[in-house]
Amino acid sequence: MPVPRLARAVGALVLAAGLTAGCGSGSDEPSAPTGATRVFTADNGDITIPAAPKRVIATGYAVPALLEAGAPLVGISTWRRGLPMMTPQTRAAYDTLAKVAGESAAETNYEAIAQAEPDLIVIGVPKPVLADIELERLRAIAPVVALGPSLPSGWRELSRRQADAAGALATFDTVRDAYRNKTRGIAAKYAGVLPRLRCAHLGAYGEIANGNFQREFNGSWGTNVAQDLGADYYGQVKVKGGGSKEVSEYPSIEELPSAFGEAEVITYTIAADGSTPGGVRYVLDSPLWKGLSAVKAGRVYPLRYTEATTYGSAMATADAVDKALEPLLNS
Amino acid sequence: MTTVHTAPARSRSGARTAWFVVAIGALAAVAVASVGVGAHAIAPADVLRALFTPTGTSDDIVVRHIRAPRALLAVGVGAALGVAGVLVQVISRNALAEPGVLGVTTGAGFAITVGSAAGFTAPAAGELALAVVGAVLATAVVYAVGRGSPLRLVLTGVALSSVLSGVSLGMRLLLPDVFDEYRFWSVGSLAGREQAPLLVPLLVIGAALVGSVLLSRQLNAVALGETMARSLGSNVAGVRLGALVLITVLAGSATAIAGPILFVGLIVPHLARRVAGGSVPWLVAHAAVLGPILLLTSDVGSRVLLPTGEVPVAVVTAFLGGPVLIWAVRRYGAAPL
Repeated sequence: MPVPRLARAVGALVLAAGLTAGCGSGSDEPSAPTGATRVFTADNGDITIPAAPKRVIATGYAVPALLEAGAPLVGISTWRRGLPMMTPQTRAAYDTLAKVAGESAAETNYEAIAQAEPDLIVIGVPKPVLADIELERLRAIAPVVALGPSLPSGWRELSRRQADAAGALATFDTVRDAYRNKTRGIAAKYAGVLPRLRCAHLGAYGEIANGNFQREFNGSWGTNVAQDLGADYYGQVKVKGGGSKEVSEYPSIEELPSAFGEAEVITYTIAADGSTPGGVRYVLDSPLWKGLSAVKAGRVYPLRYTEATTYGSAMATADAVDKALEPLLNS
Repeated sequence: MTTVHTAPARSRSGARTAWFVVAIGALAAVAVASVGVGAHAIAPADVLRALFTPTGTSDDIVVRHIRAPRALLAVGVGAALGVAGVLVQVISRNALAEPGVLGVTTGAGFAITVGSAAGFTAPAAGELALAVVGAVLATAVVYAVGRGSPLRLVLTGVALSSVLSGVSLGMRLLLPDVFDEYRFWSVGSLAGREQAPLLVPLLVIGAALVGSVLLSRQLNAVALGETMARSLGSNVAGVRLGALVLITVLAGSATAIAGPILFVGLIVPHLARRVAGGSVPWLVAHAAVLGPILLLTSDVGSRVLLPTGEVPVAVVTAFLGGPVLIWAVRRYGAAPL
């Protein structure tokens, strides 16, 4: 009896030692890039990354940006909100790539990321959300570049920085130039009408609840592409709250007449499939809405694709705004 | 002997009546404030004009179509939750009981979650029907399992609430769209309900309040304990079932139209007990007035606390009600059931 017990004890010790050795192989230490490198300034500091990454993981807002820029992706997080605005080519790439994270940062699959063997990880989430991600664990796999959004209209610069980190600026700039050409053309079409009108936008995102509404000003999700076409969404938020609350607010429905009363044109967000979101429907059904001068004048226009975060998707937005505002040319 | 006992009884009854009249006056004052105060400033003269000689201006619409229905809703929901709180504390003989303890609120929330997951996203009316069905089914299960005793009833309610909460949470975590729909409903609020079909729920609440008054005399006996009630000839099981039906109707309707507002059903019976003593009919009467006062006051606060937008009334109720309950208990001690 003593011998088998001793054998079991020795066996357990050997197993424990083996496990300890296996777990202690420096997995917490930052992974150093091989080959040519450069220092990239990101939200999480100055990071040494490969000069020409070959295997990139993208999450959050970096997903549509890097898909569109043709970056060498080996894994992405899901990005359902952007699907309706993707071109067939981008959508095919999205469907093919391995999904290593869900819609929220908390759904990051660290093992799947490690299995993809990336040489760069680009995280595109807002700074406060970074706390939900175990950066140290990711740094042990590959250099991590965190580049998240702040202002909604900041997607132009943000997506360029993400593409830059992933070494995909060439395609990015091509798409950007195409967007600029398109919006210049549409803006010229509305040059005699749009810039002299006072516009207001009814949004559909964030803290919308029964009894309030989202008013979006210049630089917000629902307005920034229309601005490129010449629209001006007058006014500003009463209290700046950081991020999207710098350019949008959530007043009580009682304040609808004072918020939109001076607007000559009102645009409002609808879903990609053309349906009206509940929070927007509540406002449209209010008797206060029906009393607004822009509504009485029939100058109210629904806008699709107001969630664009890349130049490619913003081209779909620009086309949607153009189509929606066309009646203004005849008025 | 008779004279000796009657004088204090008359005095107590007089005090209850006097407090009731004061409460009615306070309710009228808060209701007027509720119509006059909001995110959009309207002069008192314009409020009166909007109420009595409207001309269709935006101020008229705010007063008549937004604030007045909202005040009416606060009165109905506050009375329903307050009286439901009294009934549940009496039949469970538990001063910490509130309507949610019988699974009413969780049942309504579970139904909303399941309905959203099944793709049933009809606004207002659909959501209202779902919440009512959920509340009724949950209470039916609680009664079927725990009808043997007040303690078993409460324990069954707590157990069912835990199970339904867990399942709901799991569904919401797995389905982000369901989470989005639920989060709007889950924060009790009186804002933006003016477009919902409120007439039927408010009529149902009114009928249930009348039923509560009628049942309250028999609840007096049940409040003395099961043995005493039986010796007084009371049909304890029947009275308890009747009270449970009323609690379900009152709390279920209130939760359906305003979402979960948990604190009113707990604090209002305690406040009412300070002036009504152990008389259940007086408790019901005072709760039916104090509930609306608490909810209207909280609702007015919810409109003016932020520079833009509103705070959900359930948040204000908790902030306001919590300290008031603590103060009342420390100042007067917990009133006996």
